[in-house]
Amino acid sequence: MAQISIEDLVKTFGGYTAVSGINLEIRDGEFLIMVGPSGCGKTTTLNMISGLEMPTNGRIVIGGTVVNDLEPGERGLGMVFQDLALFPHMTVFENIAFGLRIKKVPDDEVRARVNAAAAAVHIQALLDKLPRHCSGGESQRVALARTIVTNPAVFLMDEPLSSLDAKLRVDMRTELKSLHKRLGATFVYVTHDQAEAMTMADRIVVMSKGRVEQVGTPLEIYNRPATRFVAGFFGMPTMNFLEGTVEANDGARRFRMAGLEHPLPDAVPAELAGRMVVLGVRAEHVLVGDDAAHPGTAQLTEPLGDATLVHFDSGQGIRLVAKIGPATAIQPGSLLKFRFASESCHLFAVEDGARLF
Amino acid sequence: MTAATLNPEQARARRIRRERVRRIVRHAILLSWTAIIVFPIFWMISTSFKDTGEWVTWPPRWLPHAPTLHNYAQIFAFSSMDPSLSRQAAEQAFSIWKGLGDAVLVCTIAALLALLLGTFLAYAISRFNVGGKYFRYTTLTIRMIPPIVVAISILIYYAVLIPYATSALFGTRISLFDTYVGLILIYTVTTLPFVIWMMLTFIDEVPYTLEHAARLMGAGRITVIRRVVLPLVASGMVVTFLFVFILNWAEFLLALTLTHPEVTTLTVLLNKFQSASEGRLYGPQAAIGTMITIPVVVLGIMIQKHLVKGFSFGTIRR
Repeated sequence: MAQISIEDLVKTFGGYTAVSGINLEIRDGEFLIMVGPSGCGKTTTLNMISGLEMPTNGRIVIGGTVVNDLEPGERGLGMVFQDLALFPHMTVFENIAFGLRIKKVPDDEVRARVNAAAAAVHIQALLDKLPRHCSGGESQRVALARTIVTNPAVFLMDEPLSSLDAKLRVDMRTELKSLHKRLGATFVYVTHDQAEAMTMADRIVVMSKGRVEQVGTPLEIYNRPATRFVAGFFGMPTMNFLEGTVEANDGARRFRMAGLEHPLPDAVPAELAGRMVVLGVRAEHVLVGDDAAHPGTAQLTEPLGDATLVHFDSGQGIRLVAKIGPATAIQPGSLLKFRFASESCHLFAVEDGARLF
Repeated sequence: MTAATLNPEQARARRIRRERVRRIVRHAILLSWTAIIVFPIFWMISTSFKDTGEWVTWPPRWLPHAPTLHNYAQIFAFSSMDPSLSRQAAEQAFSIWKGLGDAVLVCTIAALLALLLGTFLAYAISRFNVGGKYFRYTTLTIRMIPPIVVAISILIYYAVLIPYATSALFGTRISLFDTYVGLILIYTVTTLPFVIWMMLTFIDEVPYTLEHAARLMGAGRITVIRRVVLPLVASGMVVTFLFVFILNWAEFLLALTLTHPEVTTLTVLLNKFQSASEGRLYGPQAAIGTMITIPVVVLGIMIQKHLVKGFSFGTIRR
């Protein structure tokens, strides 16, 4: 069983608090991805799970055992590092075999298990090479094989794909996901790349400033972000944010700011009436067309192939982004009309960014 | 003609001419400096092949008139000595063997000791920040103390205080003066800062994630150092060892103050030929000087490239 419980975990470095009181349940066999901007505490949290950092406070329980005082090697974990950390003076074979050699596994078994691990990630041909003679993708697989070979119940990964080029990264994403399925182990994965988080994770933990902002499935995170930070962090391009007040007239809720009005769903609680809020609208929910109500001026277009991003000025000096079909031709400087899809909007508190609706 | 009126062709020619003059001046300065540095070495080698009469002739002979190996034969001679008179006999026979043996023994053991201690100290400083942020610089300042300051006080310890203290406390007089242990100790101490400094630059380059990876696979601290860190800094250790060996090999002042006649390193032996008791035997002296210089030059060339890295004060990275 490789369930991990993190209880009130705190880590401070001198006067700096890297992780401030995290609680997290990582389920057995889950692919959990911790994501957030640099310095949000995700790597520190991972290092505390691995035992490379000592928690200042709190407990870490792996498979029912409190591991706070256990050495990294005694926790039954495998880890893939950002720089892969392959031993440059050992062949690929010896790199993979290292963990088994430490555990004094007999030679025959070492050979069999290394070959099996190499086969699992398709690198049998590299076993006699030195790491410096492997390409980026190959090194990546060697690092994976080295982790697989000891059969850990938990795999920790610290931005393992960040050194790869874009194309390879996408391929490795698919491969990691299928590896997770095959092994059935618990994966805890750290990244700052929202695309990696969205595509691979069973659940995502969004962190910011040493705190957990939200835990949820990729679609929950995308469709119902718990805070303004999460809403802004996920999605390309970044969500549009507008500050204004909620009005409730005869049961109909509206969002109003200078020169802009937007009908809100009826489900928006009446208590919000009169309150200053932040309205969040994703670019794909900004609709551009002649039937729309509000005028704007296109400033910049970014064709993506399957869609085009239009950055435009909504008239009040507020810049918004819309994601429109690739066929719609809008030139920079031209006038357009826009509106928001009324069902797909998010309301956040101005003060702390908490989700109101 | 002003720059504005020059056409591009002329401007280019002028730039090339100026560059050429600069190059000639630069090389002239470097060549004359090289001549100044190399001349004593040339003179030493030349003298080592001269016969007695040519050592101090005037006008000087640049090259030996009739080159002879007599000086070398003399210093490499194995004289059959009466064991009871061994010390005096060795002194009479200008033989290099005793000095060579002592120098190799002392320099090797001292360099190995310093390397062993220094490597582990450097590891501690690099990984655990022992002594704080500036400790590595502080270590190096130890080398700024003039050796003569140390020499006299160490002499007092070795020849007076330690013998007195040991005889008072334990009843046996233990003196470090003129002993292998004494010289090895002082060489180990004086070269330790260099070892720490050089090994720091090598150990700093080993990514700590390698150690983390090894520890996660179950390796203890000692195993991590033995299987991961040391193999990666092995070439650095060889370079450091050779560098420290050369330092010890060429050391004169401490050896002169703290040893002789029982322990005699080559530099001290060399000095003997200038003393009143031996006269001025330039030929054998030059031959010994040449023999001392050869390993320094060979080792120096071997580690030259790495020394730049080791002493670049962390500013040059691969």
